[in-house]
Amino acid sequence: MADLTMVLLAIFAGISLFFAYLAISERNLVRALIYSAVQSSAFAFVFYLLRAPDIVLVYVPISVGIYPAAILFLIRKTKEVEEP
Amino acid sequence: MKRILVAVAIVIIAVIASLAATAGGALGPLFDGVRSLAEFYLFNVFNAHNATLTAMSPEAVTSIVWDYRGLDTLFETVVFYMAIIGCVALYRGIELVRDGPEVGLSRIVKTVTKILIVVNIAIAASIALHGHLTPGGGFQAGAAMAVAPIIIIVVFSRFFLMKRGVTKEVALSLRSMGLLGIALVALIPLVAWAATGTVAYVMQNQVKIDSSFSFPAYIGNALVSGSLIWYNIFEFLAVTFGFTIVFLLLSVDEKTVKNALRGEEHEH
Repeated sequence: MADLTMVLLAIFAGISLFFAYLAISERNLVRALIYSAVQSSAFAFVFYLLRAPDIVLVYVPISVGIYPAAILFLIRKTKEVEEP
Repeated sequence: MKRILVAVAIVIIAVIASLAATAGGALGPLFDGVRSLAEFYLFNVFNAHNATLTAMSPEAVTSIVWDYRGLDTLFETVVFYMAIIGCVALYRGIELVRDGPEVGLSRIVKTVTKILIVVNIAIAASIALHGHLTPGGGFQAGAAMAVAPIIIIVVFSRFFLMKRGVTKEVALSLRSMGLLGIALVALIPLVAWAATGTVAYVMQNQVKIDSSFSFPAYIGNALVSGSLIWYNIFEFLAVTFGFTIVFLLLSVDEKTVKNALRGEEHEH
């Protein structure tokens, strides 16, 4: 049955889905990147709840630190707002 | 506003549907006992009584990554190596000037960063050096450590890092040292074979049925799990400085890169 782990998994997966939608539909690239980082943080919790601490340890610095930094460098070389 | 309402509705429906499906047993039993494959590793990873199958490490994931499935990880490291080499090749011929204006962000951000960098380095080192005891390992520690140069580049500027000696050349040579270390640890059993004539396998950690070669599982009273701690330390070096190179190159301003590219065109 749906115990506490299941409920927490559903909540964090829901948060990640919500922010994934926002990241895709947002036209301001920097804001979209922040939404994407929040989605990654929710994923980190999901990995932790699925009992994969090794993945959490590599996922947090990559998804919250290195990936947004790399994309920010790239956004700086283009325009901040996506044109329709 | 309307867009957010649509998103919330989609999320609520998805959450309820997935909860109902899981509760109804659509995914099969989750978190129900230990599977037979996991049982094998949990029984054997730290089992001195079963010396031919053990990795002498209480950390099952690191044991699998660097011992039972060591060659897979070796080739993963090669993939990472090739990616960084590709990045360095793209930026060939572009000189990284060491001196420049250190603009950076405000004093508040800089002070907070100074404190956080120390914490970051300590955590990364503990993830690497305890990789064979607790969750973590070389790649995880390298990824955590690589956040430090990125934050320094963003908050202080690239020149702050380069004036203190972390240049592309230094990072490249430290990364190569890490990779060489991994290769050497993998080949040490062959040296033992050449020296003593005992059977030994590449990337071997503990004794096997037909081989008496073994890395020391303990140094003094400290559990080092044979080759695992060495792989973790060298992978830590390789990953940290691999990412550092990429971010040093990415932070080069566009004008310098374009000038260098134009120079190349004129030569032809």
